[in-house]
Amino acid sequence: MHPFSFTKAADTRSALAAGQRGGRYIAGGTTLVDLMRETVERPETLVDISDLPLRDVTVTERGGLRIGALVRMAEAAAHPKVRTLHPVISQALELSASAQLRNMATIGGNIMQRTRCTYFRDVTAACNKREPGSGCAALEGFNRTHAILGTSDDCVATHPSDVAVAFAALEARVHLLGPDGERSVAFADFLLRPGSTPNREQALRKGELITAVEIPALARPLKSGYLKVRDRQSYEFALTSAAVALHIRAGVIREAKVAAGGVGTVPWKLPAVERHLIGERPSKSLWTQAAERAADGARPLEHNRFKTELLKRTVERQLRIVGGTA
Amino acid sequence: MSPQPQTAVGAPLSRVDGRLKVTGQAKYAIDHDIAGVVHAVIVDSSIGRGRITGIDTRAALAQPGVLKVLSHLNAPVLAYLPNPLAGMAGERLHVFQDDKVHFHGQPVAAVVATTLEAAQHGAGLVKVTYEAEQPSTDMAGAPGDEPLKYARGDTDKALASAPVRMEMTYRLPRNNHNPMEPHATIARWDGEKLTVWDKTQWVVGTQTELATVFGMAPESVRVISPFVGGGFGSGLRGWPHVIIAALAARDTGRPVKLSLTRKQMFFGTGFRPTYEYGVRLGSDRRGRLTAMTHDIRAETSRYETFLEYTMVPGQMLYSMPNVSQEYRTVPLDVHTPLFMRGPGYATACYAIESAMDELAHKVGIDPIELRLRNEPEEDESSGLPFSTRKLRECYAVGAREFGWHRRNPGPRTTRDGDWLIGTGMAAGVYDAGRQDAQASVRLDADGTALVQSATTDMGPGTYTSQTQLAADALGLRMGKVTFRLGDSLMPYAPPHAGAWTLASVGSAVQDGCDKLRKQAIKLAVEDDKSPLHGADPDTVVVSAGRLYVKGNPSRGETYRQLLTRNNLTRLETMGSFTRPTGPERHSLFTYTAVFAEVAVDARLGLVRVRRMLGVYDAGRIISPELADSQALGGMVGGIGQALLEHTVIDHRDGRIVNADLANYLVPVNADIPDLKAIYLDGDDREVDPIGVKGLGEIVQVGVAPAIANAVFHATGRRIRELPITAEALL
Repeated sequence: MHPFSFTKAADTRSALAAGQRGGRYIAGGTTLVDLMRETVERPETLVDISDLPLRDVTVTERGGLRIGALVRMAEAAAHPKVRTLHPVISQALELSASAQLRNMATIGGNIMQRTRCTYFRDVTAACNKREPGSGCAALEGFNRTHAILGTSDDCVATHPSDVAVAFAALEARVHLLGPDGERSVAFADFLLRPGSTPNREQALRKGELITAVEIPALARPLKSGYLKVRDRQSYEFALTSAAVALHIRAGVIREAKVAAGGVGTVPWKLPAVERHLIGERPSKSLWTQAAERAADGARPLEHNRFKTELLKRTVERQLRIVGGTA
Repeated sequence: MSPQPQTAVGAPLSRVDGRLKVTGQAKYAIDHDIAGVVHAVIVDSSIGRGRITGIDTRAALAQPGVLKVLSHLNAPVLAYLPNPLAGMAGERLHVFQDDKVHFHGQPVAAVVATTLEAAQHGAGLVKVTYEAEQPSTDMAGAPGDEPLKYARGDTDKALASAPVRMEMTYRLPRNNHNPMEPHATIARWDGEKLTVWDKTQWVVGTQTELATVFGMAPESVRVISPFVGGGFGSGLRGWPHVIIAALAARDTGRPVKLSLTRKQMFFGTGFRPTYEYGVRLGSDRRGRLTAMTHDIRAETSRYETFLEYTMVPGQMLYSMPNVSQEYRTVPLDVHTPLFMRGPGYATACYAIESAMDELAHKVGIDPIELRLRNEPEEDESSGLPFSTRKLRECYAVGAREFGWHRRNPGPRTTRDGDWLIGTGMAAGVYDAGRQDAQASVRLDADGTALVQSATTDMGPGTYTSQTQLAADALGLRMGKVTFRLGDSLMPYAPPHAGAWTLASVGSAVQDGCDKLRKQAIKLAVEDDKSPLHGADPDTVVVSAGRLYVKGNPSRGETYRQLLTRNNLTRLETMGSFTRPTGPERHSLFTYTAVFAEVAVDARLGLVRVRRMLGVYDAGRIISPELADSQALGGMVGGIGQALLEHTVIDHRDGRIVNADLANYLVPVNADIPDLKAIYLDGDDREVDPIGVKGLGEIVQVGVAPAIANAVFHATGRRIRELPITAEALL
């Protein structure tokens, strides 16, 4: 770990000021501290934002659900509003990490977490994300857990978050606060695909702070859920995952929100699957046909070829679990 | 058989050191507070083969607190006297003695600093330059050494004429031990004497290693290791970091603490090697084996040839006239493997027991019936009778308890929603070893006893089981007996390995405590002031610290009364166990039958173990609670081996890419279902005087093939490579 200075922000304004001076925000620290120990991250200044008033879960006037950036994963998962309005969020959170980590890690930190690519986390390996221009060791290396969607010749690392997959599916917005005031960004625009600049991961301006993630009001009734496929049954990242929310009225799917995890460089929204579902009646064959589109555009690597088929089956299974087979 | 009442032995007691452990008071290697200690951190090679061309230490040395950067450029020439390790040909890695890099992660420097943080940061600032060569780390296609061979009969002829012939190749990946506690060492020099607190499974081994590396008399080195947080074999040799800690301490004149990181555990300690295991077998149409060939390849380093007992099961587990084996090590640019739980046997039994399952399916016979048809009457590799071999009973008890005969024999016939359900079984064998050992016994006039031996307790419960043996042999309550271990000043004990600690050290403890009890009885019956005066010593027993005539409990006195009256502060003796010399008269092995039920989501490629049962022929069980701890732990290890564990090397540069517990997966609680262990009644005095056969190794043998066979039964798909993961099942 490289030496660093540490300050605790008493209020939002002082946090932003410290951020403007190049300070890195830290809350639960469950990703950043690990990476500092590996010297992957070498911040000079850490700004602890744990005391900022960003810990509320509220229903907005327009019927959206706003989750404060400092709400702990465990708190968000257990919150009655989250559980009843969006089971997919609760499930994604509860299938993440371990109980200890969920008690520390925050929602804002969760969507900021960095990839688990082992070459990224090994400072002696080539990694364009960590050291632009150094190359990508994963491309021709051991890439079983890597992405098949949204990849570039410079980076094939997955975004590891589960709840971000649910946020992507539900078309959440990320609320940001910077020196120039507030703004909000669509989730799909917040996390960036690697392209030729895999070191740029979020659409954040210097010193900007995430204040909340907001799920827009969605047509009700809405059934939703999250399926995570992984080698062991707990405390592991997804090989593939699927977040599905369906609004079914009079036996017809009126709205479908579907995204996949474990397969993309960012949480992977599946508009082709959604389009295939809307206006149709739930059936086993519908789930199969819709899921056929889940891996459109996939570019598998040497060790993750199985993910293409596994992704389709994961989406198919979760459509059935949420939508039923009637 | 001891005349003493057995109250502690066989009782389901908790660990005597349990409270210390759960309250954090047990001191593991790194926990010892040593005055004036400084910290060392190792810098690992970032190439897989080649030469160090330069080490720039300026930035590291400029850091406040950094005292020294050690490397081959400034390390003293070390003695490295000849000290061959059992089963290991070649020459050990010499630490900081030249510029050669033999494997990725090899220690190339160490930073010593006054704080751990300064040492860690300093290690990151050392700039090492290399002349890299292409390493060879992929066993597939790499040339092997001259093989070890075994043959009986004529396998070629037998296979040519066999009505049923099969040929399969099984593959097992490298596994790492990954004990909970990282390897760590504290070294302190007092003049020419060296004291080391180390995580080790053999204080005597570490002592010998340090003595020969530094060219000292073993008596000048003391190794202390009272608690070991798991080992599974990783603590069976003195690793380079132990030498580095001692070197750094000598160089700086300060005691040095050095802990490996989890990542460094993957290349700083050994591993279960990668194997390819080819089987050809021949049988008649009723499944009676006529021949089997075993073509075994295993990775090793270029500087040492690591061998384990992989050939044994193929020679003696089943009856057949024709066997041929070739066991070839394949030297690669990797570090040297080391024994890992069930070494050799677990590997061989995965291949053999999978092959037996394949044969059972091919000839249409129940897998248990097939094994019964091939059960030998004697050890066909040696012609010796078995001391005890209750494998038939293991099958019978296991089948009954598991409900084996309720299974539909056809593969892919049972479904539960999205899950295909299957059951499988496998046999396992491990040698019932025992080694020379000693234990000192001291009985104080206050009626408490201290028993000591330089053994280890890496988790099996040595502290507890030895206390149980001593308590009964001395006739004391458990709480009156203290057993100490883990110090090279104590009486000699063999490596804490091979599941022989109880057989070896336990027999020495039994011997010492029996001797001491008899010494006390002799004192009493010859003492005219004792109520036992004139009694036949053979009729005197001791219970709860009181000596009395059996059948006449009122005639007696306590140890305390006896010693006090005789003005004795203590009685002392030395117990020993000596392995019988000369050829064995019996074939000595421990056996198991393992049963597994799995559920496979064939669409998603998920395998979940639903329940497991192990039945063990392991001789006498001293401590049933701890036996369960062993057996269940072994099953957990086997579940990992079958479904999760796989050390992955990037062959481009020899780097281990999953050197952490987030990427090297071991089972978590959610993966562990209903596990059950049954121990057959047993008492094998051919193995040792206390009748135990050892349990710590056999418990992982047979687990992986039972699961693999269950996966076949569930899905109809035979996966011949571990671990069995989603991509193989989709």
